Amino acid sequence: MTTKQLSPEIEARIQELWPRFPPQNVAKALCIPVLYLAQQQFGIVDDEVVDLVAARLDLPAAHVKGTATFYTMFNKQPVGRYHLQLCTNIACQITGAYDVLDRCKQRLGVGNHGTTTDGNVTLSEVECLAACGFGPVAQIAERGKPDIPLYFENLDVARMEKLLDALAEGRVPTELGS
Amino acid sequence: MGWFDLKIISRHFDVPEAKDLDYYERHGGYASARKAVRMDPAAIQAEVKTSNLRGRGGAGFPTGIKWGFVPKGAQTVYLVVNADESEPGTFKDRHILYWNPHSLVEGMIIAARALGVRNAYIYIRGEMLREHPVLQRAVDQAYAKGYLGERVFGSDFSVDITIYRGAGAYICGEETALLSSLEGGRGWPRLKPPFPAVKGLWGQPTIVNNVETLANLPWILENGGKAFADLGMGRSGGLRIVSVCGHVNRPGVYELPLTVTGRELIEDVCGGMKGGRKVKGVIPGGVSMPLLDTSELDVPFEFDALQTDERIREVEVQPGVKFDLGGGKTLRSMAGSGGVVVMDENTDMVSACWRILHFFADESCGQCTPCREGTGWLVRVVKRVDQGQGRPGDIELIASIADGIAGNTICALGDAAAWPTLAFLTKFRDEFEAKIRSSTFVAQQRAASEAALVGAP
Repeated sequence: MTTKQLSPEIEARIQELWPRFPPQNVAKALCIPVLYLAQQQFGIVDDEVVDLVAARLDLPAAHVKGTATFYTMFNKQPVGRYHLQLCTNIACQITGAYDVLDRCKQRLGVGNHGTTTDGNVTLSEVECLAACGFGPVAQIAERGKPDIPLYFENLDVARMEKLLDALAEGRVPTELGS
Repeated sequence: MGWFDLKIISRHFDVPEAKDLDYYERHGGYASARKAVRMDPAAIQAEVKTSNLRGRGGAGFPTGIKWGFVPKGAQTVYLVVNADESEPGTFKDRHILYWNPHSLVEGMIIAARALGVRNAYIYIRGEMLREHPVLQRAVDQAYAKGYLGERVFGSDFSVDITIYRGAGAYICGEETALLSSLEGGRGWPRLKPPFPAVKGLWGQPTIVNNVETLANLPWILENGGKAFADLGMGRSGGLRIVSVCGHVNRPGVYELPLTVTGRELIEDVCGGMKGGRKVKGVIPGGVSMPLLDTSELDVPFEFDALQTDERIREVEVQPGVKFDLGGGKTLRSMAGSGGVVVMDENTDMVSACWRILHFFADESCGQCTPCREGTGWLVRVVKRVDQGQGRPGDIELIASIADGIAGNTICALGDAAAWPTLAFLTKFRDEFEAKIRSSTFVAQQRAASEAALVGAP
């Protein structure tokens, strides 16, 4: 038995969204929005969270897990306090993303999707973030916190060093974002 | 006034207050929606048909014709906005959502009226962390003013807009995958037909339109479909928003006439190449589209021109053997999503091809075997060529895998991986050949055979 419980905020949001979908389809349609909120609350979408969401929406756990594992933004594994996501797709590749990624790996001592030993930063290589004009580009997520509405653009090794300095200090470098 | 000064959607880009309903309305916003809710839906549809507006998501399908596929007398019709922009190289819808969200909301009201829609959804890409709150605020403002919800603008027409966030899956930009995701499951594409206009969201007739497509509607209603058609070229009406990235001096988002060519885009619009270097290749509309080499940049970036203009080489499976799109139709290129990637003379084309394939292998939904397995094989073979481990015959192998994927999958992701691969081989074959000639695999084979000769009696 789990001791976790969906927060009252999630319950309120479910009530708010419920009338926006046809009655016979609403439970399933809310699967993704509720998974999002649960991830924000718990920082992870593991089997326990899947079961909670399935129970609340009266959906088979297999459906919820199948959905959660299909999408990259749901963290099935624990992530660090900060999740640094760097795009290396074509536009970022040809403007130097792999040099920036290599520097991150070296400085943090992790591979792709690895977390630093102090649990502070998880590094992930991600696909196109639709900010191609100003690559290389990264986004940062803080575990259990609301989304950070910023893109970290025009990254080179020097800018990335500054960004990593800030994360090491325990803060999001909003001054580098746009 | 320069030749690309007219703006429709991008008029107020970079004006921070433009995100506000008040600013938008002061500059003529919502006048078209106000008019539309009291218009005969058939009249709106006719205007859109006349406008020659074509879908700006990638396929370029005429919007008016798509709308016409909704069965007459359908009781429940849904409108779904595809704001899942994730085609690498493309960042124009993101710009519209951030700088001019009300143009989308207004376009949706017009489309909803024309199609008899009561419930509309915006499927926004999960990673659009910055755009999502801006769009939500725009929708909230419209509700507060009575422009959405019950009896909009005091008319007898009602429509609700709900924003739904994706969660990280390129495939959800494919319209049937998007619907599967919006229904709350994995983003698996569905076989067409039936097309969504007949059987879409929850089995009901559904129109899925791109952000830019809908954001053009206010202007069309204000100025008339004919005026929009006149702005365009051939069978394509209006202007086009392109996003340009890569090795140009001024990358960015530009609203331009459809007649603009690749060369004009680079030289006149984007201020030339970085460091004065030469162009090597240009992807005209997202990485799914066959790239152009420097000799092919005088063709307008218009839907039909890029497909048919003979100045663009036909994509080949093997030298002299043209790729068959079906029914003997050959493939040149396509305008796609408007995402232009400019690569300079220092770009390693094998490496670029590998990165594109890495993306498609990563994003294949796994439903169809040719795509699930084929994209994986493609990325492994191209990677070994790129990393100096290529083998004689690898080019033929890559081409045959790509040819085996194309046309054999439920959705276009398989084609999207195969087409650019074949285009890279057609236009930059020498780079692949050079990497194989100098590969360690070939060197070892040669050393082994020489050793065998020396040791022979």
